[in-house]
Amino acid sequence: MSILQTKNLRKIYGSGEAEVRALDGVDLSVEKGEFVSVVGTSGSGKSTLLHMLGGLDRPTSGSVVVDGKELSSLKDEALTIFRRRKIGFVFQNYNLVPVLSVYENIVLPMELDGHTPDYAYLDRIIETLGLQSKLGNLPNNLSGGQQQRVAIARALAAKPAIILADEPTGNLDSKTSQDVMGLLKVTSQKFAQTIVMITHNEEIAQMADRIIRIEDGRIVVRG
Amino acid sequence: MVWAIPGRYSEMVGKIILALLILAAVAVILWDRLRLRHILGVLDGMLDQAVRGSFQEESFDESRLSALETKLAHYLSASVVSAGKLEEEKEKIKTLIGDLSHQIKTPVANLLLYAQLLGEQPLPEESRAYTAALESQAEKLQSLVEDLVKLSRLETGILTLHPCLAQLAPVLEDVMEQFSSKAVDKKITLHCASTEETAVFDPKWTEEALCNLLDNAIKYTPAGGRVAVEIVPYQLFCCVRVRDDGPGIPEEEQAKIFQRFYRAPGAHGVEGVGIGLYLVRQIAQDQGGYVKVDSQVGKGASFSLFLPRGQ
Repeated sequence: MSILQTKNLRKIYGSGEAEVRALDGVDLSVEKGEFVSVVGTSGSGKSTLLHMLGGLDRPTSGSVVVDGKELSSLKDEALTIFRRRKIGFVFQNYNLVPVLSVYENIVLPMELDGHTPDYAYLDRIIETLGLQSKLGNLPNNLSGGQQQRVAIARALAAKPAIILADEPTGNLDSKTSQDVMGLLKVTSQKFAQTIVMITHNEEIAQMADRIIRIEDGRIVVRG
Repeated sequence: MVWAIPGRYSEMVGKIILALLILAAVAVILWDRLRLRHILGVLDGMLDQAVRGSFQEESFDESRLSALETKLAHYLSASVVSAGKLEEEKEKIKTLIGDLSHQIKTPVANLLLYAQLLGEQPLPEESRAYTAALESQAEKLQSLVEDLVKLSRLETGILTLHPCLAQLAPVLEDVMEQFSSKAVDKKITLHCASTEETAVFDPKWTEEALCNLLDNAIKYTPAGGRVAVEIVPYQLFCCVRVRDDGPGIPEEEQAKIFQRFYRAPGAHGVEGVGIGLYLVRQIAQDQGGYVKVDSQVGKGASFSLFLPRGQ
């Protein structure tokens, strides 16, 4: 079952002479439970693609369908709520709320939604990511790798249709990167979580089930 | 003047009535809102209970809410029934696999035995080649059946892994012992670094996984080559890496080799059925780890089995 699909996705910045085709007709389909990495050099359009997939920006033309919903059909407010419920984000710089504890950070998206978290599921996530002893800490007291683990837990907790990870190990040393990527891999297996990860790092990309290469706004190789 | 009082009076009455009407309307709206909120609250509570598995009908009256509760209870009991059926099916598969493996294993073992006995008889030269082929095919069949049985047991959850915190060294020593003679036969140097690392794993199945990795490594490494096992500790995982001097694996095949029954186009000369790495992946997954390959064509391959270290 395809959980994410794009059709002829285009994003063009500027016009006339200054026209930049960041995405030039991208067709992509991700199955439920798949762990896919998108690799490309900087300027290849991979970040633009991630923004389109996550509904953070609107395409010039073409469509993005997440869990059966066409994103362009949603108004801004509905899109925000859709994102909160259906898409988990993991960013390079973690984006944790510094004044909230680790636990509060993890349950924040659900609380914004007025949801009672599924505590049993939450416990499994926290255990898998090895965060049991850190729940009361503030993010600033954690190492980079630990902070990213919190961000992964936060993304997983709401059981999103898809997790989008943008250079998740961009700020980590290579040893910690391997650990964090390992956890991402293990969680994708354990919770059948669909993950799309963007990276420029070949070795990191190898961890995925499938690699998609992007160059000049087009997909060049499918794994 | 005389009429003014009733006029003013009626005007005031009108105003009061109007105010009362507005008040009544506001009250109705407020009441309606509160009621809606109450109903949504009740529904939310019902669903929460259903998720926890503790749902029970509370009110039995003529209200629609009560009817809804009954409906939900029906729905939930139906899904409990279907979960039960699923359990039953699983039980059936379990017996079937048990029976099958038993039924197939014995004839195959006999086949192998008789082939070997036949080989010991004084036979004409051309028959020898046939008995040798018979024996090697029977061996192949035996290992295939064994692998399939293991795999289906793992997949259906009949066999569960029991990971526990343990030293890696004993497992590695066992594996090395099993393969040292095979390596000597093929003139391959087999090397394993000593280690004091611990991880959370199921020793028996992890040994199985490592055996598969080593078996592959030795199979694909040409005579005179080298196979090395090394341990790389990380903060969260402990990695057991099996490195070989084989032909390497092209990038487009690297994700496919872990699929069931996948045989690399270049691997037809080597025996196997394409189940080993799938089994390795399954074992890694079931104990909270993962497996990964790094390889370049012509530069050998290294398979890394990552085991969780536990907290």
